[in-house]
Amino acid sequence: MTGKQRKQVWNAVQLTLIMIATFIMLVPIVWIFLAAFKTHVDVYQLKLFFTPTLENFSTVFDDPYRLGEKLFNSTIVALVTVIFAIPIATCAAYSFSRFRLRGETTMLVMILATQFVPAVVIILPFFVMFRDVGLLDTRLGLILVNLAIVMPFAIWMIKGFIDGIPMDTEEAAMVDGSSRLQVIWNIVLPMAAPGLLTAAIFCFIIAWNEFLFALILTNKNAVTLPIGLALFKGEEGDLWNLLSAAGIIIMAPMFVLALLIRKYFVQGMTMGAVR
Amino acid sequence: MAEVILKNLSKRWGDFVGVDNQSLDIHDKEFLVLLGPSGCGKTTTMRMIAGLEEPTSGEIWIGERQVNDDLPKDRDVAMVFQNYGLYPHMTIFDNIAYPLKVRGTPKAEIRPRVERAAAQVELTQFLDRKPKALSGGQRQRVALARAIVRTPKVFLMDEPLSNLDAKLRVTMRAELKHLSRELKVTTVYVTHDQIEAMTLADRVAVMKHGIIQQLGTPDEIYNDPANLFVAGFIGSPAMNLVRGRIEGGQFLTEDGVKLSPIASEDRSEVVLGVRADDINVHEAGEGDIDAPIYAFENTGEASFLTVEWGDQRVIARGDRHLRKDQDDVVGLSLNPDHLYLFDPNTEKRIRL
Ligand SMILES: Nc1ncnc2c1ncn2[C@@H]1O[C@H](COP(=O)(O)OP(=O)(O)OP(=O)(O)O)[C@@H](O)[C@H]1O
Ligand SMILES: [Mg+2]
Repeated sequence: MTGKQRKQVWNAVQLTLIMIATFIMLVPIVWIFLAAFKTHVDVYQLKLFFTPTLENFSTVFDDPYRLGEKLFNSTIVALVTVIFAIPIATCAAYSFSRFRLRGETTMLVMILATQFVPAVVIILPFFVMFRDVGLLDTRLGLILVNLAIVMPFAIWMIKGFIDGIPMDTEEAAMVDGSSRLQVIWNIVLPMAAPGLLTAAIFCFIIAWNEFLFALILTNKNAVTLPIGLALFKGEEGDLWNLLSAAGIIIMAPMFVLALLIRKYFVQGMTMGAVR
Repeated sequence: MAEVILKNLSKRWGDFVGVDNQSLDIHDKEFLVLLGPSGCGKTTTMRMIAGLEEPTSGEIWIGERQVNDDLPKDRDVAMVFQNYGLYPHMTIFDNIAYPLKVRGTPKAEIRPRVERAAAQVELTQFLDRKPKALSGGQRQRVALARAIVRTPKVFLMDEPLSNLDAKLRVTMRAELKHLSRELKVTTVYVTHDQIEAMTLADRVAVMKHGIIQQLGTPDEIYNDPANLFVAGFIGSPAMNLVRGRIEGGQFLTEDGVKLSPIASEDRSEVVLGVRADDINVHEAGEGDIDAPIYAFENTGEASFLTVEWGDQRVIARGDRHLRKDQDDVVGLSLNPDHLYLFDPNTEKRIRL
């Protein structure tokens, strides 16, 4: 075999492996996508050709499911979480990156360590605390919980981006006449913007998909979309067609965001790693 | 109007001494070059003047004011960084305009001033680009333009030509010299390139291990070195330094080769310094001493002969038309007016 042939074979092998992996990952999504447009009768048959209907999408927004409320809750919770998380995390990340703080490494490791605590372990204390201060089943409560979940992640990610900004650039701005705040506003933020955007979208995705805390801490008013899915388990069995329609509604923003951040994803992941 | 005065300035990191208790008066409108090998504390000194590094002890004065506690922005200096320190997200225009904008210059004044600075470094056609789309030399000039767009009290330039290719370095050097004569602002210029130092400076401070070895005009540094380090550091090729002794008005190398008459009392240990230019090359037998050629190099504008005196090698500069070969024997004579003696133990100059 010549080198060229060997390369072609290798490419074919790679392509096949990628196709298999993609297939395995996509099958459930395709199934859901099809089911969302099927009638209750069709859904149990693996038919690829059927008369599609949009009825499921209107049903899920009607009584008794009222998915609109959940959609609203999810949107508010995820958006407000991001709106607070990113500025706070940016301040923290800037300090960690640029100032030599006492116990800096310890703090950074501790922040990361919170990520390793299984949610089920701390969910009970959260429940008790929230019950005592009246935050159970409120959007505010969920926002607080989600902030706690996304902050460590956001701090580490944004720190990676700020680390990648050369110190020289900031020092040049200071000598040119900027105060520290002007340096951050005029230099650091614009340069870290792709990183901030990536972090924001990641945080949004995490908050949007958060399930366990929402399951335990809400029951009626603040229920989010992932929890809302449980509604479609009726007496007549699982309503797969409705479940699938709701699933599409949950996934749609994720697809859009994934497309948006594709460009920055690798950059964001590697920038922190290189240093 | 601003002189820069450093009083007993030190910078230490733990046990490591970066700058060791140095004092320096930089006159108003003076172009002072800090020259020294890598790691000798040049950048550290400059960063302390700019306010980017806090001195461990000592005072810094700019003009009439002690600036130790002033933020960089309040010191009214402009700095050219070794790696440019440009703002990658701004156009060249905005890069150059930044010091004006952030200091609240009226809008109408900004454009003409940026354009004038850009013209001075020949960047006019690049104003709309981002730094990424420029070559190293062009970026360097942006950094310069950003410094000269304002008239600060002091210019600080940290090896501003170090990243340029040899040819561009020569043209930019001339450009800098021209600019500095035109602008007449006190300038501190860091380099480890002695040609830059010699050509640009009003005065040169030669540094080593955080200590200023000698402060003087380029002439003084070249022709009147204060110690062995300065003698060996300045000049290309560096001054020949030959170990030996003096007996009866004659200098003898360590292994007894009789070199040259010299007006000095007898000394048992001494280092003789002589520049390649001050060793005259003759045919064998016509000079004071004969010596075999170890290597012959022709640079086109001159020829350099490495010859052996006993165990020690020295470099002599011959005429550009001279042609010799390895192992040929040549006659050499030393120019008696330009010989230097140093004490090998204290490394200090022995004045004749
Ligand atoms: N933050 C720091 N911590 C510890 N040591 C430092 C620090 N900054 C500089 N040094 C040390 O101080 C010494 C002087 O550094 P400086 O940057 O002033 O050298 P330099 O003369 O500018 O050299 P070069 O020509 O290579 O730029 C060096 O030995 C360097 O290792
Ligand atoms: Mg340096």
